[in-house]
Amino acid sequence: MPMKTKGTMSRRSFMKLSAAAAATTVGSSSRILYALVSEKQGTQPNQLRDQFSACDMCFNKCGLIARVEDGVVKKLDPNPKSLKSRGMLCARGNAGVRQLYDPDRLKYPLLRKGQRGEGRWQRLSWEQALDHAAEQMERIGQKYTRCGFLFMAGTDMQSTFVHHFAEVYGSYNVISHESNCLLSRNRAFLDTYGVVPTPDIIHSKHVIMPGANRFEALVTPDSIDLMTAMQNGCKLVVLDPRFTKTAALADEWFAIKPGTDMAFFLAVAQVLISENLYDQKFVAEKTSGFEELRTHVQPYTPEWAAGETEIPAKDIRRLARELAAAAPTAMVYPGRRSSDYKDSTQIRRSFAIVNALLGNWDQKGGLILPKKIKTGSISHDPPFYEDNPDDRVDAGRAQMMFDEEGSFKHTRDAVIEGKPYPIKGWLTYKTNPMQTGANRNKTIEMIHKLDFMVTVDIAMSDTAWMADLVLPAPSYLERQDPVSAFLASSACSGVLTRDPVVPALFESKPVFWIVKELAKRLDLAEYFDFTIEDFRKAQLKKLPEVAKALKNDGVYNLVGHSHGIHEGKPFKTRSKKIELYNSRYAENGINPLPVYRPPQAVPENHFRIVVGRNAYITQSASTNNTLLWELEHENCLWIHPVPAKRLGIQNEKLVEVQSAVGKGWLKARVTEDTRPDTVYMDTGFGVISEGLSKIFGKGACIADVLEDHADRISGNMAMHETFVTVSKI
Amino acid sequence: MLKRIGSVLIILFFVFAAIGIVMAADKGNARKGKYLFRKNCRTCHCEDGSAKPLSPIDKTQAQWDEVFKSIDKLSCTKEWAKLSEKDRNDMYAHLWGHAFDSPSPAKCK
Repeated sequence: MPMKTKGTMSRRSFMKLSAAAAATTVGSSSRILYALVSEKQGTQPNQLRDQFSACDMCFNKCGLIARVEDGVVKKLDPNPKSLKSRGMLCARGNAGVRQLYDPDRLKYPLLRKGQRGEGRWQRLSWEQALDHAAEQMERIGQKYTRCGFLFMAGTDMQSTFVHHFAEVYGSYNVISHESNCLLSRNRAFLDTYGVVPTPDIIHSKHVIMPGANRFEALVTPDSIDLMTAMQNGCKLVVLDPRFTKTAALADEWFAIKPGTDMAFFLAVAQVLISENLYDQKFVAEKTSGFEELRTHVQPYTPEWAAGETEIPAKDIRRLARELAAAAPTAMVYPGRRSSDYKDSTQIRRSFAIVNALLGNWDQKGGLILPKKIKTGSISHDPPFYEDNPDDRVDAGRAQMMFDEEGSFKHTRDAVIEGKPYPIKGWLTYKTNPMQTGANRNKTIEMIHKLDFMVTVDIAMSDTAWMADLVLPAPSYLERQDPVSAFLASSACSGVLTRDPVVPALFESKPVFWIVKELAKRLDLAEYFDFTIEDFRKAQLKKLPEVAKALKNDGVYNLVGHSHGIHEGKPFKTRSKKIELYNSRYAENGINPLPVYRPPQAVPENHFRIVVGRNAYITQSASTNNTLLWELEHENCLWIHPVPAKRLGIQNEKLVEVQSAVGKGWLKARVTEDTRPDTVYMDTGFGVISEGLSKIFGKGACIADVLEDHADRISGNMAMHETFVTVSKI
Repeated sequence: MLKRIGSVLIILFFVFAAIGIVMAADKGNARKGKYLFRKNCRTCHCEDGSAKPLSPIDKTQAQWDEVFKSIDKLSCTKEWAKLSEKDRNDMYAHLWGHAFDSPSPAKCK
């Protein structure tokens, strides 16, 4: 990457240092890492200290203790006081130290000099970079209104400041990563229960897990609790077109035909109702629309569902009966990522409805909603910009979009079309839609419509690579964050925070500082008249016990407020009950009960491509991590031996995978771990950024191949609606 | 025949479009309403304020309907009298649109 290196450590010498450091990380004294540590810190050798923090290698925020020797973070250990993570830290968590000491980190502000994506950069001082960004924001705001600037922040404890900045700057166009992930699930459960409950896995005796891969796509405490529950006799049934690690450890695995989960659960509902196996008292007292549901599911028999799902009718009937026998300590696992089909919200509604029939709400082993600890805040009254349009740029493109989340897919379309109004600026923070948003070419097209794009991140992601201005952020081990309240199933409700374990390397600056500096330049300083310390004090003003626990234990856990806490309280729905039948849907022209629509048939000589995770990759944020890279150098295409033989494809040989929107080359993994009609590849490879030195040129990018469809109701990206051809090279 | 169907469809389109505009106008501008709510209500309805903290999720959509039907019965009715009809509509759009049982309940802040 042609970057200037004057005044700082060159990339080459950094690589040398890091390579040496890698060899000496554990056990021996890694003298070489002193090169990265300020002189003040390094003067007294053999100084050891431990410091609490919370992991940021994915969204889970597991508690950890950083072991620091002579100012160098040597090792990360799990914090045994962290009930959410059950005192554990996964492979990615352990590799966090390599995010800190990553030779590929962004070191100083960079301004694009060549064409977008060409990789020619000019080093700027922070003053120059911030002045330039503020000028662009002012200009775009003047010319296109403040809503002409788009903001997108990832799941991060400082993202709240990006949202605050967007609000005072005056743009409603704020999106998160969530519309590429879990909004369909949230929509479905909110529209059924009035809240998004969390599964109490550890107490469950029977779990049907459709699509989710909890032993690889880790969620704490669910992943750990599922193992504990199984050791205590919980039965796990997995429905997945792939033989995942979760499927491998399950009691039963069914390679369900992709896109037919709703058929399965409508049939389960039909069995529960027709055989009077549902919780009649619960349904009578706590739900509305049961009679409509009873009529609705009559035709959805297991025999009918067998033809759709390719799961035998006798098994569907048996599984429904077993589920009912274990109720209420039984559940259909709600899942997390639900960005799969155009009907995703309705598919998840069918999960929610079966859970309601089991009467597992607010019960041990069912769906629960512990009380979240309410932290304080600093309140400001943002200004209003009279010339702004009335609504978000993506408004009206989905039937019931979340106002505060929006939709990446629909926003991108709106930017490309310039309708209903132009968007000409974009700020991204720690999110990488170039890798996570289906149809990468469209993201590139969107970026080319912009006058100015600024990215704040730790490394040169593909999104940063396309930006006009790139600003270096510190890793989570180098910065002070606000406190963050969390829910951890029945383990606890809690609060955590982060303080710098070591000073920020290079010229990296936290996004809080960046938006505060931008606010100063945009005459909005009055809305950022506080420090993170002030913000935290306001958050903990009425919670002195939390402040004490954070200091002593690195985390605050509130235990024992998980079950039976909603008895007698109304549900947050129109009927104040669980809405099996959703009257608001009916009024908005949406089917008030989930109506099954068969997935589009896989065309001849094509495959459906599906998205998934393994336990050592967090999408694109960790594939270039030097430690995790040791576990996976490149992705490969899972393809079943029967079609592989027909196509002359051999294991580990290169293939081309092509859809209507893009293509990629990668090695084949010929395996029976996927259905003959389904192929799969990991996310986070096939990067265009030459700033990701370990993985540049390796594997293929799934976002390049996926077509961009959307869930009709929520606007969530629908990533399992793409058909591809596969051919040998 | 086809022409006639086309004309009917065009007329229907404009009728529905007009209805849509009227409905939108009735509900007001929720974005402006959020600003106005903060400016006019939050001064008292806040932590340590003279009135109970208030957020859109403190009431259902039906309850907000009731509040706006009988503003003259509120203890702060004099303050409401200072607001224009449009400002009231905008605030209603915000509060109703992010109510307890709405599709986009306001997030606690």
